[in-house]
Amino acid sequence: MLIEVLQMLLILAIAPLVTGLIRKFKAFFQGRQGPSMLQPYRDLAKLFRKDSVVSKDTSWIFMAAPYVCMTAVITAALMVPFFTSTSANFLGDLIVVVYLFGMMRFFLALSGLDAGSSFGGMGSSREMTVSVLVEPTILLSIFTMALITGTTVLGQISESLATSGLDLVRPALFLAFAAFFISTLAENARVPVDNPATHLELTMIHEAMILEHSGKQLALMEWSSMTKLVLYMALMANIFFPWGIAIEISAVAIGIGLLAVLIKIFLFALAIAVIESSMAKMRLFRLPNLLTVSFTLSLLAVVSFYIL
Amino acid sequence: MQDSLSLDLVDTFAAIILLTDFMLVASGRMRSLTRLFAIQSLALGGLAAVVAFETKAENIYIIAVLSVALKAIVIPRFIDYTTEKIQVKKEVEPLIKIPGSLLICAALALLAYYVTEPIMDLGTAITGNCLAISFATVLIGLFLMVSRRKAITEAIGLLVVENGVFLAAIAMTYSMPMIVELGVFFDVFVGVVIMVVFAFRINRTFDSIDATSLRGLKD
Repeated sequence: MLIEVLQMLLILAIAPLVTGLIRKFKAFFQGRQGPSMLQPYRDLAKLFRKDSVVSKDTSWIFMAAPYVCMTAVITAALMVPFFTSTSANFLGDLIVVVYLFGMMRFFLALSGLDAGSSFGGMGSSREMTVSVLVEPTILLSIFTMALITGTTVLGQISESLATSGLDLVRPALFLAFAAFFISTLAENARVPVDNPATHLELTMIHEAMILEHSGKQLALMEWSSMTKLVLYMALMANIFFPWGIAIEISAVAIGIGLLAVLIKIFLFALAIAVIESSMAKMRLFRLPNLLTVSFTLSLLAVVSFYIL
Repeated sequence: MQDSLSLDLVDTFAAIILLTDFMLVASGRMRSLTRLFAIQSLALGGLAAVVAFETKAENIYIIAVLSVALKAIVIPRFIDYTTEKIQVKKEVEPLIKIPGSLLICAALALLAYYVTEPIMDLGTAITGNCLAISFATVLIGLFLMVSRRKAITEAIGLLVVENGVFLAAIAMTYSMPMIVELGVFFDVFVGVVIMVVFAFRINRTFDSIDATSLRGLKD
Protein backbone atom coordinates (compact mmCIF):
# COMPACT_ATOMS: atom_id res chain seq x y z
CA MET A 1 0.00 0.00 0.00
CA LEU A 2 2.85 2.33 0.86
CA ILE A 3 4.27 2.04 -2.62
CA GLU A 4 0.97 3.04 -4.24
CA VAL A 5 0.68 6.10 -2.03
CA LEU A 6 4.26 6.96 -2.87
CA GLN A 7 3.52 6.65 -6.58
CA MET A 8 0.44 8.82 -6.22
CA LEU A 9 2.34 11.53 -4.33
CA LEU A 10 5.10 11.47 -6.92
CA ILE A 11 2.62 11.82 -9.80
CA LEU A 12 0.96 14.77 -8.04
CA ALA A 13 4.33 16.33 -7.34
CA ILE A 14 5.76 16.15 -10.85
CA ALA A 15 2.55 17.12 -12.66
CA PRO A 16 3.27 20.89 -12.73
CA LEU A 17 6.86 20.15 -13.71
CA VAL A 18 5.72 18.22 -16.80
CA THR A 19 3.48 21.09 -17.85
CA GLY A 20 6.39 23.46 -17.30
CA LEU A 21 8.60 21.17 -19.36
CA ILE A 22 6.20 21.19 -22.31
CA ARG A 23 6.04 25.01 -22.12
CA LYS A 24 9.83 25.17 -22.02
CA PHE A 25 10.12 22.93 -25.08
CA LYS A 26 7.56 25.04 -26.93
CA ALA A 27 9.43 28.21 -25.99
CA PHE A 28 12.61 26.63 -27.35
CA PHE A 29 10.95 25.84 -30.68
CA GLN A 30 9.64 29.39 -30.89
CA GLY A 31 13.10 30.78 -30.21
CA ARG A 32 12.14 32.25 -26.84
CA GLN A 33 13.73 31.64 -23.52
CA GLY A 34 10.40 31.03 -21.85
CA PRO A 35 9.52 30.99 -18.17
CA SER A 36 11.28 28.65 -15.79
CA MET A 37 10.10 25.07 -15.65
CA LEU A 38 9.08 25.71 -12.05
CA GLN A 39 6.64 28.47 -13.02
CA PRO A 40 3.52 26.23 -12.78
CA TYR A 41 4.43 25.53 -9.12
CA ARG A 42 4.65 29.25 -8.44
CA ASP A 43 1.32 29.86 -10.20
CA LEU A 44 -0.37 27.14 -8.17
CA ALA A 45 1.14 28.40 -4.90
CA LYS A 46 -0.05 31.91 -5.66
CA LEU A 47 -3.55 30.74 -6.58
CA PHE A 48 -3.80 28.71 -3.38
CA ARG A 49 -3.08 31.85 -1.35
CA LYS A 50 -5.75 33.91 -3.09
CA ASP A 51 -9.39 34.34 -2.15
CA SER A 52 -11.93 32.94 -4.53
CA VAL A 53 -14.76 34.90 -6.04
CA VAL A 54 -17.93 32.90 -6.54
CA SER A 55 -20.95 34.15 -8.41
CA LYS A 56 -24.07 34.24 -6.23
CA ASP A 57 -26.02 32.45 -8.95
CA THR A 58 -24.03 29.26 -8.68
CA SER A 59 -25.15 26.13 -6.86
CA TRP A 60 -23.12 23.73 -4.73
CA ILE A 61 -21.92 21.93 -7.86
CA PHE A 62 -19.71 24.87 -8.75
CA MET A 63 -17.90 24.64 -5.41
CA ALA A 64 -17.83 20.85 -5.33
CA ALA A 65 -16.51 20.34 -8.86
CA PRO A 66 -12.83 21.19 -8.18
CA TYR A 67 -12.75 18.80 -5.23
CA VAL A 68 -14.47 16.06 -7.21
CA CYS A 69 -11.98 16.50 -10.05
CA MET A 70 -9.02 16.40 -7.70
CA THR A 71 -10.37 13.34 -5.88
CA ALA A 72 -10.99 11.52 -9.15
CA VAL A 73 -7.45 12.26 -10.28
CA ILE A 74 -5.94 11.16 -6.96
CA THR A 75 -7.90 7.90 -7.00
CA ALA A 76 -6.83 7.27 -10.59
CA ALA A 77 -3.22 8.03 -9.63
CA LEU A 78 -3.44 5.25 -7.06
CA MET A 79 -4.47 2.77 -9.74
CA VAL A 80 -2.26 3.71 -12.67
CA PRO A 81 1.10 1.94 -12.57
CA PHE A 82 3.90 4.49 -12.52
CA PHE A 83 7.34 3.19 -11.64
CA THR A 84 6.25 -0.22 -10.41
CA SER A 85 3.56 -2.43 -11.86
CA THR A 86 1.96 -2.88 -8.47
CA SER A 87 -0.93 -0.50 -8.31
CA ALA A 88 -3.93 -0.52 -6.02
CA ASN A 89 -5.63 -3.31 -7.91
CA PHE A 90 -8.25 -3.98 -5.27
CA LEU A 91 -9.88 -0.68 -6.14
CA GLY A 92 -10.68 -1.78 -9.65
CA ASP A 93 -9.27 -2.19 -13.11
CA LEU A 94 -8.90 -0.14 -16.26
CA ILE A 95 -12.61 0.48 -16.66
CA VAL A 96 -12.71 2.24 -13.29
CA VAL A 97 -9.79 4.44 -14.33
CA VAL A 98 -11.44 5.41 -17.61
CA TYR A 99 -14.68 6.27 -15.85
CA LEU A 100 -12.94 8.21 -13.10
CA PHE A 101 -11.78 10.45 -15.91
CA GLY A 102 -15.36 10.33 -17.19
CA MET A 103 -16.61 11.58 -13.82
CA MET A 104 -14.04 14.35 -13.83
CA ARG A 105 -15.15 15.43 -17.28
CA PHE A 106 -18.79 15.33 -16.24
CA PHE A 107 -18.28 17.59 -13.23
CA LEU A 108 -16.05 19.90 -15.21
CA ALA A 109 -18.81 20.30 -17.79
CA LEU A 110 -21.47 20.78 -15.09
CA SER A 111 -19.48 23.47 -13.33
CA GLY A 112 -18.95 25.18 -16.67
CA LEU A 113 -22.70 25.31 -17.13
CA ASP A 114 -23.45 26.20 -13.51
CA ALA A 115 -22.25 29.78 -13.47
CA GLY A 116 -24.52 30.54 -16.39
CA SER A 117 -21.94 32.38 -18.46
CA SER A 118 -22.21 31.80 -22.16
CA PHE A 119 -18.56 30.83 -22.50
CA GLY A 120 -18.88 28.15 -19.84
CA GLY A 121 -21.84 26.59 -21.59
CA MET A 122 -20.04 26.73 -24.91
CA GLY A 123 -16.98 25.06 -23.43
CA SER A 124 -19.09 22.35 -21.80
CA SER A 125 -20.96 21.55 -24.97
CA ARG A 126 -17.71 21.36 -26.95
CA GLU A 127 -16.05 19.18 -24.32
CA MET A 128 -18.96 16.76 -24.48
CA THR A 129 -18.88 16.74 -28.30
CA VAL A 130 -15.23 15.80 -28.20
CA SER A 131 -15.63 13.24 -25.46
CA VAL A 132 -18.36 11.34 -27.31
CA LEU A 133 -15.70 10.02 -29.65
CA VAL A 134 -12.74 10.08 -27.29
CA GLU A 135 -14.18 7.92 -24.54
CA PRO A 136 -14.93 4.82 -26.66
CA THR A 137 -11.57 5.25 -28.35
CA ILE A 138 -9.71 5.14 -25.06
CA LEU A 139 -11.71 2.17 -23.84
CA LEU A 140 -11.20 0.24 -27.08
CA SER A 141 -7.48 0.91 -27.26
CA ILE A 142 -6.93 -0.17 -23.66
CA PHE A 143 -9.18 -3.16 -24.27
CA THR A 144 -6.88 -4.17 -27.11
CA MET A 145 -4.02 -4.37 -24.65
CA ALA A 146 -6.27 -6.26 -22.24
CA LEU A 147 -7.04 -8.76 -25.02
CA ILE A 148 -3.38 -9.20 -25.87
CA THR A 149 -2.35 -9.79 -22.28
CA GLY A 150 -5.53 -11.48 -21.08
CA THR A 151 -6.24 -9.27 -18.08
CA THR A 152 -8.04 -6.00 -17.42
CA VAL A 153 -5.93 -4.99 -14.43
CA LEU A 154 -3.62 -2.20 -15.49
CA GLY A 155 -0.65 -3.35 -13.41
CA GLN A 156 -0.85 -6.88 -14.77
CA ILE A 157 -1.11 -5.65 -18.36
CA SER A 158 2.17 -3.83 -18.08
CA GLU A 159 3.73 -6.65 -16.10
CA SER A 160 2.94 -9.37 -18.62
CA LEU A 161 3.98 -7.17 -21.52
CA ALA A 162 7.22 -6.22 -19.81
CA THR A 163 8.17 -9.75 -18.88
CA SER A 164 7.30 -11.48 -22.13
CA GLY A 165 9.74 -9.50 -24.23
CA LEU A 166 8.73 -9.08 -27.86
CA ASP A 167 6.38 -12.07 -27.98
CA LEU A 168 3.26 -10.05 -27.37
CA VAL A 169 4.17 -7.22 -29.72
CA ARG A 170 1.59 -7.17 -32.47
CA PRO A 171 0.41 -4.70 -35.08
CA ALA A 172 -2.62 -4.13 -32.87
CA LEU A 173 -0.36 -2.55 -30.26
CA PHE A 174 0.76 0.22 -32.60
CA LEU A 175 -2.74 0.89 -33.90
CA ALA A 176 -4.04 1.11 -30.35
CA PHE A 177 -1.16 3.36 -29.34
CA ALA A 178 -1.80 5.76 -32.22
CA ALA A 179 -5.48 5.93 -31.26
CA PHE A 180 -4.63 6.46 -27.61
CA PHE A 181 -2.14 9.19 -28.41
CA ILE A 182 -4.67 11.18 -30.44
CA SER A 183 -7.19 10.74 -27.61
CA THR A 184 -4.62 11.95 -25.10
CA LEU A 185 -4.21 15.15 -27.07
CA ALA A 186 -7.98 15.56 -27.26
CA GLU A 187 -8.65 14.74 -23.61
CA ASN A 188 -5.98 17.03 -22.23
CA ALA A 189 -6.93 20.04 -24.33
CA ARG A 190 -3.76 20.10 -26.40
CA VAL A 191 -3.29 21.29 -29.99
CA PRO A 192 -4.81 20.34 -32.52
CA VAL A 193 -8.00 19.95 -30.47
CA ASP A 194 -7.67 22.85 -28.08
CA ASN A 195 -5.00 25.40 -27.38
CA PRO A 196 -3.97 25.51 -23.72
CA ALA A 197 -2.07 28.76 -24.17
CA THR A 198 -4.89 31.07 -25.22
CA HIS A 199 -8.16 32.39 -23.93
CA LEU A 200 -9.61 33.10 -27.35
CA GLU A 201 -13.41 32.98 -27.13
CA LEU A 202 -14.03 31.24 -30.41
CA THR A 203 -11.67 28.35 -29.91
CA MET A 204 -11.26 27.52 -26.26
CA ILE A 205 -12.75 24.34 -24.82
CA HIS A 206 -11.11 23.51 -21.53
CA GLU A 207 -10.28 27.09 -20.58
CA ALA A 208 -13.89 28.12 -21.19
CA MET A 209 -15.17 25.67 -18.61
CA ILE A 210 -12.88 26.83 -15.82
CA LEU A 211 -13.25 30.50 -16.69
CA GLU A 212 -15.47 31.26 -13.70
CA HIS A 213 -13.26 29.56 -11.14
CA SER A 214 -10.76 31.53 -9.14
CA GLY A 215 -8.40 31.19 -6.20
CA LYS A 216 -8.15 27.77 -4.58
CA GLN A 217 -10.78 26.25 -6.83
CA LEU A 218 -8.92 27.37 -9.94
CA ALA A 219 -5.68 26.01 -8.51
CA LEU A 220 -7.32 22.63 -7.88
CA MET A 221 -8.77 22.61 -11.39
CA GLU A 222 -5.42 23.44 -12.95
CA TRP A 223 -3.55 20.97 -10.82
CA SER A 224 -6.02 18.18 -11.54
CA SER A 225 -5.73 18.77 -15.30
CA MET A 226 -1.93 18.78 -15.07
CA THR A 227 -2.06 15.53 -13.13
CA LYS A 228 -4.46 14.07 -15.66
CA LEU A 229 -1.95 14.78 -18.41
CA VAL A 230 0.77 12.98 -16.45
CA LEU A 231 -1.60 10.07 -15.82
CA TYR A 232 -2.34 9.74 -19.52
CA MET A 233 1.39 9.81 -20.23
CA ALA A 234 1.97 7.17 -17.56
CA LEU A 235 -0.78 5.04 -19.12
CA MET A 236 0.85 5.38 -22.55
CA ALA A 237 4.27 4.58 -21.13
CA ASN A 238 3.24 1.66 -18.97
CA ILE A 239 0.56 -0.01 -21.03
CA PHE A 240 2.00 0.22 -24.50
CA PHE A 241 5.75 0.34 -23.78
CA PRO A 242 6.18 -0.94 -20.24
CA TRP A 243 9.77 -2.11 -20.67
CA GLY A 244 11.88 -1.05 -17.72
CA ILE A 245 9.05 -0.90 -15.19
CA ALA A 246 9.83 -2.41 -11.80
CA ILE A 247 8.16 -5.80 -11.36
CA GLU A 248 9.40 -6.70 -7.89
CA ILE A 249 9.91 -4.24 -5.11
CA SER A 250 13.58 -3.69 -4.56
CA ALA A 251 15.67 -0.55 -4.50
CA VAL A 252 17.43 -1.30 -7.80
CA ALA A 253 14.27 -2.27 -9.67
CA ILE A 254 12.43 0.79 -8.45
CA GLY A 255 15.37 3.00 -9.37
CA ILE A 256 15.39 1.63 -12.92
CA GLY A 257 11.61 1.84 -13.13
CA LEU A 258 11.61 5.45 -12.00
CA LEU A 259 14.31 6.37 -14.49
CA ALA A 260 12.51 4.55 -17.32
CA VAL A 261 9.14 6.18 -16.69
CA LEU A 262 10.68 9.64 -16.32
CA ILE A 263 12.55 9.23 -19.62
CA LYS A 264 9.35 8.09 -21.34
CA ILE A 265 7.40 11.04 -19.94
CA PHE A 266 10.19 13.36 -21.05
CA LEU A 267 9.91 11.93 -24.58
CA PHE A 268 6.11 12.25 -24.61
CA ALA A 269 6.42 15.86 -23.44
CA LEU A 270 8.86 16.49 -26.28
CA ALA A 271 6.48 14.83 -28.76
CA ILE A 272 3.55 16.97 -27.58
CA ALA A 273 5.68 20.11 -27.80
CA VAL A 274 6.77 19.21 -31.35
CA ILE A 275 3.16 18.62 -32.39
CA GLU A 276 1.99 21.86 -30.79
CA SER A 277 4.77 23.82 -32.45
CA SER A 278 4.33 22.33 -35.90
CA MET A 279 0.55 22.12 -36.20
CA ALA A 280 -2.19 24.68 -36.12
CA LYS A 281 -5.29 24.17 -34.04
CA MET A 282 -8.00 22.47 -36.03
CA ARG A 283 -11.31 24.10 -36.77
CA LEU A 284 -13.93 22.73 -34.42
CA PHE A 285 -15.97 21.33 -37.30
CA ARG A 286 -13.00 19.42 -38.65
CA LEU A 287 -12.37 17.79 -35.27
CA PRO A 288 -14.79 14.89 -35.84
CA ASN A 289 -12.60 13.81 -38.78
CA LEU A 290 -9.54 13.44 -36.59
CA LEU A 291 -11.45 11.86 -33.74
CA THR A 292 -13.22 9.39 -36.01
CA VAL A 293 -9.85 8.45 -37.45
CA SER A 294 -8.60 7.68 -33.95
CA PHE A 295 -11.79 5.80 -33.14
CA THR A 296 -11.47 3.70 -36.29
CA LEU A 297 -7.83 3.05 -35.46
CA SER A 298 -8.77 1.67 -32.07
CA LEU A 299 -11.57 -0.37 -33.60
CA LEU A 300 -9.10 -1.73 -36.14
CA ALA A 301 -6.75 -2.60 -33.30
CA VAL A 302 -9.40 -4.76 -31.70
CA VAL A 303 -10.42 -6.27 -35.06
CA SER A 304 -6.85 -6.97 -36.09
CA PHE A 305 -6.30 -8.77 -32.82
CA TYR A 306 -8.85 -11.31 -34.01
CA ILE A 307 -7.89 -11.31 -37.70
CA LEU A 308 -4.13 -11.55 -37.38
CA MET B 1 8.28 -24.63 -41.64
CA GLN B 2 7.00 -21.26 -40.64
CA ASP B 3 9.14 -19.37 -38.25
CA SER B 4 7.53 -16.69 -36.23
CA LEU B 5 9.59 -13.81 -37.60
CA SER B 6 8.22 -14.06 -41.13
CA LEU B 7 4.75 -14.59 -39.71
CA ASP B 8 5.17 -11.40 -37.72
CA LEU B 9 6.40 -9.60 -40.81
CA VAL B 10 3.43 -10.79 -42.85
CA ASP B 11 1.09 -9.66 -40.08
CA THR B 12 2.76 -6.28 -39.87
CA PHE B 13 2.59 -5.70 -43.63
CA ALA B 14 -1.05 -6.79 -43.64
CA ALA B 15 -1.78 -4.35 -40.83
CA ILE B 16 -0.06 -1.56 -42.78
CA ILE B 17 -2.23 -2.39 -45.79
CA LEU B 18 -5.38 -2.22 -43.67
CA LEU B 19 -4.19 1.01 -42.10
CA THR B 20 -3.52 2.63 -45.47
CA ASP B 21 -7.01 1.58 -46.57
CA PHE B 22 -8.46 3.67 -43.80
CA MET B 23 -6.07 6.53 -44.32
CA LEU B 24 -7.11 6.60 -47.98
CA VAL B 25 -10.69 6.99 -46.84
CA ALA B 26 -9.75 9.65 -44.29
CA SER B 27 -7.48 11.77 -46.45
CA GLY B 28 -8.91 14.85 -48.07
CA ARG B 29 -6.17 15.70 -50.54
CA MET B 30 -5.39 14.26 -53.95
CA ARG B 31 -1.64 14.26 -53.26
CA SER B 32 -1.92 12.21 -50.10
CA LEU B 33 -4.18 9.73 -51.92
CA THR B 34 -1.48 8.80 -54.40
CA ARG B 35 1.16 8.80 -51.69
CA LEU B 36 -0.89 6.47 -49.50
CA PHE B 37 -1.55 4.21 -52.45
CA ALA B 38 2.22 4.05 -53.04
CA ILE B 39 2.79 3.10 -49.39
CA GLN B 40 0.14 0.43 -49.62
CA SER B 41 1.74 -1.04 -52.75
CA LEU B 42 5.11 -0.95 -51.05
CA ALA B 43 3.72 -2.92 -48.09
CA LEU B 44 2.14 -5.35 -50.53
CA GLY B 45 5.47 -5.82 -52.29
CA GLY B 46 7.14 -6.39 -48.93
CA LEU B 47 4.51 -8.97 -48.00
CA ALA B 48 4.99 -10.75 -51.32
CA ALA B 49 8.76 -10.80 -50.77
CA VAL B 50 8.34 -12.36 -47.33
CA VAL B 51 6.00 -14.99 -48.78
CA ALA B 52 8.51 -15.67 -51.56
CA PHE B 53 11.26 -16.12 -48.99
CA GLU B 54 9.12 -18.39 -46.90
CA THR B 55 7.87 -20.61 -49.72
CA LYS B 56 11.09 -20.40 -51.76
CA ALA B 57 9.15 -19.61 -54.90
CA GLU B 58 11.28 -17.40 -57.12
CA ASN B 59 8.46 -16.16 -59.28
CA ILE B 60 6.90 -14.32 -56.35
CA TYR B 61 10.10 -12.28 -55.99
CA ILE B 62 9.65 -11.04 -59.55
CA ILE B 63 6.04 -10.19 -58.81
CA ALA B 64 7.05 -8.35 -55.64
CA VAL B 65 9.61 -6.27 -57.51
CA LEU B 66 7.17 -5.55 -60.31
CA SER B 67 4.48 -4.60 -57.82
CA VAL B 68 6.77 -2.11 -56.10
CA ALA B 69 8.15 -0.68 -59.33
CA LEU B 70 4.83 -0.31 -61.06
CA LYS B 71 2.33 0.41 -58.33
CA ALA B 72 4.51 2.19 -55.81
CA ILE B 73 6.51 4.34 -58.25
CA VAL B 74 5.24 4.54 -61.83
CA ILE B 75 1.47 4.72 -61.39
CA PRO B 76 1.42 7.23 -58.47
CA ARG B 77 3.83 9.50 -60.33
CA PHE B 78 1.77 9.23 -63.46
CA ILE B 79 -1.40 10.16 -61.61
CA ASP B 80 0.34 13.05 -59.84
CA TYR B 81 1.65 14.30 -63.17
CA THR B 82 -1.81 14.23 -64.69
CA THR B 83 -3.54 15.93 -61.77
CA GLU B 84 -0.98 18.69 -61.99
CA LYS B 85 -1.41 18.98 -65.72
CA ILE B 86 -5.19 19.24 -65.76
CA GLN B 87 -5.08 21.40 -62.63
CA VAL B 88 -7.94 19.84 -60.73
CA LYS B 89 -8.72 21.16 -57.30
CA LYS B 90 -6.65 19.54 -54.59
CA GLU B 91 -9.61 18.50 -52.46
CA VAL B 92 -11.10 15.04 -52.82
CA GLU B 93 -14.78 16.03 -52.58
CA PRO B 94 -16.34 12.92 -51.10
CA LEU B 95 -20.05 12.34 -51.55
CA ILE B 96 -20.24 10.99 -48.01
CA LYS B 97 -18.50 13.02 -45.30
CA ILE B 98 -15.27 11.63 -43.96
CA PRO B 99 -16.41 10.52 -40.46
CA GLY B 100 -19.38 8.72 -42.02
CA SER B 101 -17.12 7.12 -44.63
CA LEU B 102 -14.76 5.91 -41.94
CA LEU B 103 -17.53 4.34 -39.93
CA ILE B 104 -18.93 2.64 -43.04
CA CYS B 105 -15.47 1.31 -43.85
CA ALA B 106 -15.04 0.03 -40.31
CA ALA B 107 -18.33 -1.81 -40.77
CA LEU B 108 -17.04 -3.16 -44.11
CA ALA B 109 -13.89 -4.42 -42.40
CA LEU B 110 -15.98 -6.18 -39.78
CA LEU B 111 -18.14 -7.66 -42.55
CA ALA B 112 -15.03 -8.90 -44.36
CA TYR B 113 -13.85 -10.55 -41.17
CA TYR B 114 -17.25 -12.11 -40.57
CA VAL B 115 -17.47 -13.46 -44.12
CA THR B 116 -13.99 -14.93 -44.23
CA GLU B 117 -13.92 -16.38 -40.75
CA PRO B 118 -15.34 -19.81 -41.71
CA ILE B 119 -12.84 -20.10 -44.57
CA MET B 120 -9.84 -19.07 -42.51
CA ASP B 121 -10.02 -22.15 -40.33
CA LEU B 122 -9.72 -24.38 -43.38
CA GLY B 123 -6.62 -22.71 -44.77
CA THR B 124 -3.14 -23.98 -44.14
CA ALA B 125 -1.23 -21.16 -45.81
CA ILE B 126 0.96 -19.06 -43.51
CA THR B 127 -0.72 -15.99 -44.91
CA GLY B 128 -4.23 -17.31 -44.39
CA ASN B 129 -4.83 -14.45 -41.95
CA CYS B 130 -4.54 -11.94 -44.75
CA LEU B 131 -7.72 -13.14 -46.43
CA ALA B 132 -9.96 -11.00 -44.24
CA ILE B 133 -7.76 -7.99 -44.87
CA SER B 134 -7.77 -8.59 -48.62
CA PHE B 135 -11.55 -8.78 -48.56
CA ALA B 136 -11.70 -5.58 -46.53
CA THR B 137 -9.35 -3.92 -49.03
CA VAL B 138 -11.54 -4.93 -51.96
CA LEU B 139 -14.68 -3.67 -50.23
CA ILE B 140 -13.09 -0.39 -49.16
CA GLY B 141 -11.71 0.10 -52.68
CA LEU B 142 -15.21 -0.36 -54.08
CA PHE B 143 -16.52 2.08 -51.50
CA LEU B 144 -13.86 4.61 -52.54
CA MET B 145 -14.95 4.25 -56.16
CA VAL B 146 -18.60 4.78 -55.30
CA SER B 147 -18.28 7.59 -52.81
CA ARG B 148 -15.69 9.85 -54.41
CA ARG B 149 -16.65 12.31 -57.05
CA LYS B 150 -13.61 12.80 -59.24
CA ALA B 151 -12.59 10.48 -62.05
CA ILE B 152 -9.05 10.22 -60.74
CA THR B 153 -10.08 9.32 -57.19
CA GLU B 154 -12.27 6.63 -58.72
CA ALA B 155 -9.23 5.29 -60.55
CA ILE B 156 -7.43 5.09 -57.20
CA GLY B 157 -10.39 3.15 -55.80
CA LEU B 158 -9.99 0.66 -58.63
CA LEU B 159 -6.27 0.33 -57.91
CA VAL B 160 -7.05 -0.35 -54.25
CA VAL B 161 -9.47 -3.08 -55.32
CA GLU B 162 -6.70 -4.57 -57.45
CA ASN B 163 -4.33 -4.49 -54.46
CA GLY B 164 -6.95 -6.39 -52.47
CA VAL B 165 -7.30 -9.05 -55.16
CA PHE B 166 -3.53 -9.37 -55.38
CA LEU B 167 -3.32 -9.79 -51.61
CA ALA B 168 -6.04 -12.45 -51.73
CA ALA B 169 -4.13 -14.30 -54.45
CA ILE B 170 -0.98 -14.33 -52.35
CA ALA B 171 -2.81 -15.17 -49.16
CA MET B 172 -4.71 -18.13 -50.52
CA THR B 173 -2.57 -19.70 -53.21
CA TYR B 174 0.88 -18.16 -52.90
CA SER B 175 0.07 -16.16 -56.02
CA MET B 176 -1.26 -17.17 -59.37
CA PRO B 177 0.93 -18.47 -62.20
CA MET B 178 3.51 -16.00 -63.39
CA ILE B 179 1.90 -15.36 -66.75
CA VAL B 180 -1.43 -14.51 -65.14
CA GLU B 181 0.20 -12.08 -62.73
CA LEU B 182 2.10 -10.40 -65.52
CA GLY B 183 -1.11 -10.13 -67.50
CA VAL B 184 -2.84 -8.54 -64.52
CA PHE B 185 -0.03 -6.04 -64.05
CA PHE B 186 -0.16 -5.09 -67.67
CA ASP B 187 -3.94 -4.79 -67.50
CA VAL B 188 -3.75 -2.54 -64.48
CA PHE B 189 -1.15 -0.34 -66.05
CA VAL B 190 -3.03 0.00 -69.30
CA GLY B 191 -6.22 0.51 -67.31
CA VAL B 192 -4.69 3.40 -65.40
CA VAL B 193 -3.32 4.96 -68.56
CA ILE B 194 -6.68 4.74 -70.25
CA MET B 195 -8.51 6.10 -67.21
CA VAL B 196 -6.16 8.99 -66.80
CA VAL B 197 -6.31 9.85 -70.50
CA PHE B 198 -10.06 9.56 -70.21
CA ALA B 199 -10.06 11.90 -67.22
CA PHE B 200 -7.98 14.26 -69.30
CA ARG B 201 -10.58 14.19 -72.06
CA ILE B 202 -13.47 14.57 -69.62
CA ASN B 203 -11.74 17.60 -68.23
CA ARG B 204 -11.32 19.12 -71.67
CA THR B 205 -14.91 18.55 -72.64
CA PHE B 206 -16.64 19.41 -69.38
CA ASP B 207 -14.06 21.67 -67.70
CA SER B 208 -14.10 19.41 -64.66
CA ILE B 209 -13.52 15.77 -63.84
CA ASP B 210 -16.53 15.58 -61.62
CA ALA B 211 -18.02 12.27 -62.67
CA THR B 212 -21.54 13.31 -61.67
CA SER B 213 -21.61 16.01 -64.30
CA LEU B 214 -21.21 13.33 -66.95
CA ARG B 215 -24.93 12.77 -66.71
CA GLY B 216 -25.64 16.13 -68.27
CA LEU B 217 -26.00 16.08 -72.02
CA LYS B 218 -23.78 18.17 -74.17
CA ASP B 219 -24.01 18.69 -77.87
